[in-house]
Amino acid sequence: MNIPPLLPQGAELTHPPTRAKVYISLLLAFSLTLLPWMEQIRWLVPDFTLMLLLYWNIRAPRLAGIGMAFSLGLLTDVARGVLFGLNALAYCAATFIVLLVQRRLEGFDTPRQTLQLSPILLGKEALVLTLGLMMGRADADWRWLAAGLTAALLWPALAWLVDRITQQEPASRQTPL
Amino acid sequence: MSRAPHAPLFVREMGLPARFGLYVLVCLLLLAMDARYFALSGVRAGINAVIHPTQMALAKPWEWLYGVGRFFVSHGELAAENQRLKYQHELLAAGLSDRAAIKAENTQLRALMELPAREGFTMVPSEIIETSTDPFSRKIIINRGERHGIAAGWPVVDANGLVGQVTRVYPWSSEVSLLTDRSQGAPVQNMRNGLRIIIFGQGSDNRLEVRFLDMHADLQPGDLLYTSGIDGIYPAGVPVARVIKIEPPHHTPFARALCQPLGGVGRYRHIAVMKPDRSAAAVTRQLGTASNKKSP
Repeated sequence: MNIPPLLPQGAELTHPPTRAKVYISLLLAFSLTLLPWMEQIRWLVPDFTLMLLLYWNIRAPRLAGIGMAFSLGLLTDVARGVLFGLNALAYCAATFIVLLVQRRLEGFDTPRQTLQLSPILLGKEALVLTLGLMMGRADADWRWLAAGLTAALLWPALAWLVDRITQQEPASRQTPL
Repeated sequence: MSRAPHAPLFVREMGLPARFGLYVLVCLLLLAMDARYFALSGVRAGINAVIHPTQMALAKPWEWLYGVGRFFVSHGELAAENQRLKYQHELLAAGLSDRAAIKAENTQLRALMELPAREGFTMVPSEIIETSTDPFSRKIIINRGERHGIAAGWPVVDANGLVGQVTRVYPWSSEVSLLTDRSQGAPVQNMRNGLRIIIFGQGSDNRLEVRFLDMHADLQPGDLLYTSGIDGIYPAGVPVARVIKIEPPHHTPFARALCQPLGGVGRYRHIAVMKPDRSAAAVTRQLGTASNKKSP
């Protein structure tokens, strides 16, 4: 059984996640979604903002949270030109689910984390499309569901990268042997 | 981190489900306000004014890379292109003088028939800077906005025909709903016999449809459809589409016609917004907002 240590260990003690790290990385992820992606692969581009948001909700739930999800969602809504609150609602829901099972996700290694997160990442795209349909948009392009799949596939790479950059130990090694 | 992550830090803080519920409520409220009452355009424009420059700045390195790539083009290629462009220029110049002659003749004929001349429009050339990341609709963002005098409701055309309509205006950019968007419609007239119909988008880039066509309407594949100008938004006489196929009635009392848009909807980078001249502007704006409210 995974029992988290009473005090932070190793790298988490010397390089704890700070507010600056969280905000800067989220800002970078958001700008990544603003890049001029090619029209042909646009529907494949994962929602980097959501991935980073979930990452921080797993690693440092005290620094992220539903409020942050809400404001990032509103930003995404404006950037994408969709209805106000569409992505905000989806982000809030995803964050809520992740926070509910945060203890379990924190203890898992990256492959298992990916398995647990993929329904959430896919579900977010499905929720956005379904909500759009409910709000009277007649015609949804279901190809956009693929973005959730790409996000799930890219999760290990993203987690590894952000771990390296912010100098945190990967989740599985935080638990004592 | 020995605390449970979502346990309240202080007693007065709300629990996780309560906070989630509150945010969901706010989101639903925002959704309803935006979808039904169009109440948040000011907030949207404000946030967009911050995001837009960032977006432009992020696109710059790519443009520079493209520019550097263009620098290393061989001399032969340039010479060939120069030759081709010269030829093209001559062709265009010839076409232009033709057009001027036809236009002069046209005004003369109009005067002869004592018809009131159509309200003038000024072309505002603009560039497509982004295609919208919205899976539900066909929209593009152009680089002309409120600061350039653009207003919602104005028609957008390219060299070949009608492209769409300005639906949302930001300070430095505006959003154009393409004709192929499902919520867009345009009143048109068959060039061959003057039959008046309404054409709708289908959500696909190269199809338009006439949804409720009279079973006996005289419409044939190959017919050209022009705007009739009776809605007060689109000026009369702009080419819109060519009929491809007529589908006979099937379980309904109406036939259906499939058409191909003539304007480069979703193909070109440069388009023109038709800015109504001062006298017509007020009327058009009024009609434009009315039709915006009606369409969703």
